[in-house]
Amino acid sequence: MSRIVLQAVTKQFPDGTTAVQSLDLHVDDGELLVLVGPSGCGKTTALRMIAGLEEVTAGAIYIDDRPVTDVEPRHRDIAMVFQSYALYPHLTVYDNMAFSLKYRKVGKAEIKQRVAEAARILELEPYLERKPRQLSGGQRQRVAMGRAIVRQPRAFLMDEPLSNLDAKLRVQMRAEIAQLQRSLGTTTIYVTHDQTEAMTLGTRVAVIHGGVLQQVATPQELYARPANLFVAGFIGSPAMNLVDARLERDERSAGPAVVFGSHRLAIPPQVVAEHPALDQYLGRDVVLGIRPENMADAELAHNADPQAILHLPVKLREELGSEVQVHAAIGAAAHLSGGEAEDVRSLATMVARMNPKTAIKEGDVARVLVDTDALHFFDRASGESIRGGPVS
Amino acid sequence: MAASRLTRRRRRAGILLSLPAVALVIAFLGVPIGQAIYYSMTSWNGLTSTWIGPSTYSTALSDPIFWRVLENNALLLLCIPFALGIPLGIAALLNEHVRGWRFFRSVYFLPTAVSWVVIGMVALQFFAADGTLNKLLADLGLGSTATDMLAGSHSALAALAITFVWSMLGTNTIIFLTGMATLDPTLIEAARVDGLARRQIFVRVTLPLLTRFIQFAFVITVISAFSALFSLIFVMTGGGPGLGTTTLEFFVYQTGFAQGQFGTGALYGIILFVIMIFVGLVQLRLIKPADEEGS
Amino acid sequence: MAAAPVDPARPARPAPTGPPLPSARSRQRLTTGPVFLLMVVVALVMLYPFYYLLNNAFRNQTQYDQQHGHSVAGWTQLFQNLPVGSELLNSTIVCAAAIVIILVVSTSSGFAFAKLRYRGSGTVFLLVVAALMVPLQSIIIPEYVNMAKFNLVSSYTGAVLVYAALGTPFATFLMATYYRGISDELIEAAVMDGLSYERTFLQIALPLSLPAIATITVLQFIQIWDDLLVGLLFLPTNDRTITVGLAALSSGRTTSIPVLMAGSLISAVPAIGVYLIFQRHLVKGLTLGMGK
Repeated sequence: MSRIVLQAVTKQFPDGTTAVQSLDLHVDDGELLVLVGPSGCGKTTALRMIAGLEEVTAGAIYIDDRPVTDVEPRHRDIAMVFQSYALYPHLTVYDNMAFSLKYRKVGKAEIKQRVAEAARILELEPYLERKPRQLSGGQRQRVAMGRAIVRQPRAFLMDEPLSNLDAKLRVQMRAEIAQLQRSLGTTTIYVTHDQTEAMTLGTRVAVIHGGVLQQVATPQELYARPANLFVAGFIGSPAMNLVDARLERDERSAGPAVVFGSHRLAIPPQVVAEHPALDQYLGRDVVLGIRPENMADAELAHNADPQAILHLPVKLREELGSEVQVHAAIGAAAHLSGGEAEDVRSLATMVARMNPKTAIKEGDVARVLVDTDALHFFDRASGESIRGGPVS
Repeated sequence: MAASRLTRRRRRAGILLSLPAVALVIAFLGVPIGQAIYYSMTSWNGLTSTWIGPSTYSTALSDPIFWRVLENNALLLLCIPFALGIPLGIAALLNEHVRGWRFFRSVYFLPTAVSWVVIGMVALQFFAADGTLNKLLADLGLGSTATDMLAGSHSALAALAITFVWSMLGTNTIIFLTGMATLDPTLIEAARVDGLARRQIFVRVTLPLLTRFIQFAFVITVISAFSALFSLIFVMTGGGPGLGTTTLEFFVYQTGFAQGQFGTGALYGIILFVIMIFVGLVQLRLIKPADEEGS
Repeated sequence: MAAAPVDPARPARPAPTGPPLPSARSRQRLTTGPVFLLMVVVALVMLYPFYYLLNNAFRNQTQYDQQHGHSVAGWTQLFQNLPVGSELLNSTIVCAAAIVIILVVSTSSGFAFAKLRYRGSGTVFLLVVAALMVPLQSIIIPEYVNMAKFNLVSSYTGAVLVYAALGTPFATFLMATYYRGISDELIEAAVMDGLSYERTFLQIALPLSLPAIATITVLQFIQIWDDLLVGLLFLPTNDRTITVGLAALSSGRTTSIPVLMAGSLISAVPAIGVYLIFQRHLVKGLTLGMGK
């Protein structure tokens, strides 16, 4: 039964850096909210403020409508799973899980029962008498979860619990955590830098960048209707192709078309209907976004609309088995924003995820069919997505 | 910005837990230094004390005996390069990890466990006129060079120095060996691939990387030289012949407790303290810059 | 050497020209022998005094003069001239008491300086460690005066306190370094579990610091057991440690050498024993102290 609310929560460190900027967030009862963003974006700081391990510079935090901003961690009734697991090395698995209960004056019989139950759920029963150093990474991670579960807290706080595991184990544990949270029904706030983890686990996902909340929505919403350039480029892998473009009036269709380099794409009427604000951008610069999965080999398509086909010289073809990723030159400026984009040199290419049957090869000028129903537009100055009209 | 409750509790716990140590150090190390400064400017025989003032320092500094004593200290400090250099060599030997090196490491460190009093007594027998050294020389056919090392002041100092270096070998060897173990082996390998000979690698690569450890060993050795030599002198020479082996730390004891001049003794103690600080600062300057330029 | 199978796709390599390069393996063999020899020589130099000690501790005066033969005569004389038993006991009591104080004080403050920052804790830590540089001689006179004033030189108390104060700076430094190695998240987990910081120290940090505690115990034991000056000045004659007793014996010119050797042997054995048993901890601890 726990709702967590953050009101304008700000964290400023003594040296002046602002880690979290006026964060407004609410977590519904039983929800698994993921805080995701690149390293250093403030997500862990936010989590630690909710835990009470970090002082709040400004703003307020409520757990079940009770203000806890100045309350010590041990009185907040929340349990935390740390990135390094933080298991007590000198205690057995059993004692590690029972540890906090002893200090909360829980009866011996009750402790035994809770630990046994958690051990059963997490399949830790054969390891109860072992010490952490005798366990594998995955087992330690489960003990860390067990320690939180036995507390039966109002909420779980998880700080990148899977990042120390190898890839395969991570995928498996991801599913286990999702199932566990659903069956326990405990409100959970989960921090990660991995957008795949965020999308698969979260009831809702909050994208954070530079201490500022970019967007909080369901995974589908984030994917289909990113609120700004950062979210658009962060969610989805390979990242969305972003190009500097211009909106013009198309003579033939009398509707808008988007132009970049020597390319032109007509914008279908229902897209215009869903994005009324596009009207104000006619004749102006925008940023166009096309997801790699919305680009296909025109040769393999039936009834391809010629107005949706781009002719792009192919630079590189990557075989993945299940798909082919084609890198093609745009002949126009790719849109670079600060932050992550600075790490990647502008190659002025687009990436398309294509059917493995495609015959496109390097050096060809490929005919690429774009799903124009799924075009994204952003204001070039502010980075905000251009939509207008009813927004969820 | 008011600190959160948790921060306040952390701070309180920090103060509480560190208090005993701080109190102990202040009471038994800090306060006495202050008092020593006060006493140093008095004339005091344990019963009556008369304030004189800072002129006690000028009196002491113009006393030729003081400079004689200091000279002994300076001469002894000459052995420090040996106290550092020989262990470096031994550590390099051990670092080769030839079979049984761990056993040898244990053996080399053994003298550290033994009291300087004991070492002094054995050394006394070694250097005495009818002692082991002379017997060894006689066995080697060098009987004519037999000397009573403890009879002449310079040779007595030499005997002390040799004994001191011997006793420091173990500690410093361990320090350097540990240092060598923490070195990144890829740096050495890169040097080997670049074509440097073993000796060059040692001088150009290993030594600069060991700077911190050499610093540490230097400080430990100097501290030991000043404080531990007391026992050696007490047992081996009693400060003699004459003032031959009276170093500053022994002089403090002599002046204060043997001669009952507490004020003067405290004064020499303060001078000793100042010298120690000075040496500490100097070695920080001398050895540090190489380390900061990066490896 | 069997002929290598010929791969038709690859032409045979041209015959090598010039003198053969020195083989790495022969170089290795070259260094092992001399190194071993050198180590043995150094070992002999290190061990000689012990040999001398052992040899002459078991001789009587005539045997010593002639450097021949063995007996236990020296030992009876030793026990006559020196209250060996009680002095050994005194050494043990003084060591134990001082070490207990050092451990209590250094573990708690080491933890505080490592994990429980407060305003000025960095400076305070620096000062405590800097106290290492204070030479004993600089403070013994005022120290003695203070102790006498508070009547602490009539029993163990004075010496124990001085030993404790002298050992605290290094012990605190070592413990602080060790505790820094414990992850902050472990402390935070304890905080989340509801423990006070003091409790966290006792229940989490302390049990984990046994290796460092072992190192400090060994180092301090050796230092205190072998110390002369403090014992000489701060202990009343009946409470003397064995080291002081031995030194006093040697400064009296009437004692024979074998007796002194026997006394030396007895006083050296405990410290050597402790060293041999706890070697590993020593090396580990010193490594830690220098790693930072």
